[in-house]
Amino acid sequence: MSVLAIVIFLVALAALALDWAHRTKIALGGAAAMVVLGVLDQEQAIDAIDWPTLGLLAGMMVIVALTEPTGIFTYVALKATQISRGNPVALVILLSLMTGVLSAFLDNLTAILLVVPITLLIADVLRIPPIPLVLVQVLASNIGGTATLIGDPPNILIGSHRPELSFMDFIVNLAPVAVFTLVVTSALLAFVYRSRLRPAPERARQIESLDPARDLREAKKVKRTLAVLVGTIVAFFLHSALHVEPSVVALVGATVMLFVAADDVEDALGRVEWSTLLFFMGLFVMVGGLVEQGVVTDVAEWLTELTGDSSVAKGMVILWGSAAGSAMVDNIPFTTAMLPVVDSIQGDEFDDGLWWALALGACFGGNATIIAAAANVAATGILERTGNRVSFLQFLVVGLPITILSLLIASAYLLLFQL
Amino acid sequence: MPLRDVALTDASVLQTVPLAEAVAELFEARVPAIAVLDDVGRVLGILSEREVLRAVFPGYLAEIRHSAFLTDDASALDELAARARDRPVRDFMRTSEVLELSDSQIHAAERLMHSGDDALPVVDGDRFVGMLSVAGLCHARLDRPTG
Repeated sequence: MSVLAIVIFLVALAALALDWAHRTKIALGGAAAMVVLGVLDQEQAIDAIDWPTLGLLAGMMVIVALTEPTGIFTYVALKATQISRGNPVALVILLSLMTGVLSAFLDNLTAILLVVPITLLIADVLRIPPIPLVLVQVLASNIGGTATLIGDPPNILIGSHRPELSFMDFIVNLAPVAVFTLVVTSALLAFVYRSRLRPAPERARQIESLDPARDLREAKKVKRTLAVLVGTIVAFFLHSALHVEPSVVALVGATVMLFVAADDVEDALGRVEWSTLLFFMGLFVMVGGLVEQGVVTDVAEWLTELTGDSSVAKGMVILWGSAAGSAMVDNIPFTTAMLPVVDSIQGDEFDDGLWWALALGACFGGNATIIAAAANVAATGILERTGNRVSFLQFLVVGLPITILSLLIASAYLLLFQL
Repeated sequence: MPLRDVALTDASVLQTVPLAEAVAELFEARVPAIAVLDDVGRVLGILSEREVLRAVFPGYLAEIRHSAFLTDDASALDELAARARDRPVRDFMRTSEVLELSDSQIHAAERLMHSGDDALPVVDGDRFVGMLSVAGLCHARLDRPTG
């Protein structure tokens, strides 16, 4: 039966990596196969679903969906562009930092869906190629999202799986290395792209003449909506002291947002990406099958044999292994599968360093290939729809060196401060 | 009451016709979409006002929700129009549902409601007969003497 569990899981991973069908169909198909073929029974399947992860994701989806119509994100992106005054290095760094910060506090996929269309508009007005700018933002979203519990799906999975790790723990242990990596990689990419992204002076003046405040309609509603968004983020910082889980913070924030900003509740709830939530459910059930059949314990034992008792070796294997796995199959299913593995590796003694290694590996690894993170797929999808196709190789040439550089920084950080 | 009792609009172009010519036909025919036909007159798809809007204005407009701050950049828009003008209409068309001349009007109304299109091509076998628009169908209903 364990062989069957492994086969179902590997076929699903291959299908996801090769984009054979919509990812939700694949995950649900794999989950259905696990249950129907008896790898795990229906009670075990339901128990395997991590409901806090789903609550956190659904809550943030509602909050962001109701904040977006205010025009505030467009305003911020245009202001950042205007501040750069036509200087390509400043433009890349500002857009990159803005994307990184938005990713940290909204989640990276949402940030990318918000900023990439505006970046296309900015590139059009400046008459500069949009692809380098968008690639810089994708890389920044995966690095910036690493900074918080809610910034990147791997972190949401880890935070929901290990309640010992609070929102502040993520900030304290991951934000410094994420910010440092973001600044280094942004500066590097700004230097590389500086000549390609230099606009003609009259184009820079054109964008400076635009008034982004013209789209901030209904000032009172904007203020109310932003107050709920900021209040939710503050509550994330305080959730440990308040003794509430991050998922509760997100769901309460979403409920308040429905009262404050949703004229039509059906419409607001319709913006929840149900297919994404079902994708996660399918993954949880598939990994539940691997756990029930002892596959996860076997992998963990093999890794423990490989690394011995050295926490440094364990941390490095988790960091680089997670990055490689994420690059090949998408960091969400990979992290879902790694959660019980890291549980087993650390044994009875909780070791937060190993969880930071997993977070850094999976999040930074998300930059390596076009399929490694949901944000990459979303961004390149928008680019393609607007006539700017990015090939697998084109992404790899930029993404892989940035990933290796990020992992080197992460390795140094873990060795110096965590392991 | 089949569709043959409704006034259809004979609005179609060959797939090789330049976009500018197809849009002129769309404008003059006063229907929301025209049929795009192959060399023997079979329906390949439709060109609706939506496709034309996307072809003539920047693609990113479909992705953003806010644009009140944008000003018209005549040279950029002219450049975009120049790039689209002479390309064959098949590059911009899309497939759509096709109605049969023998279909009932109530079926056509249901299809118009759910397809998202304001006009659909009507065929008789393989032969294109005309475009059925929402206005054409409803006009036919409202214009009938009752009692």
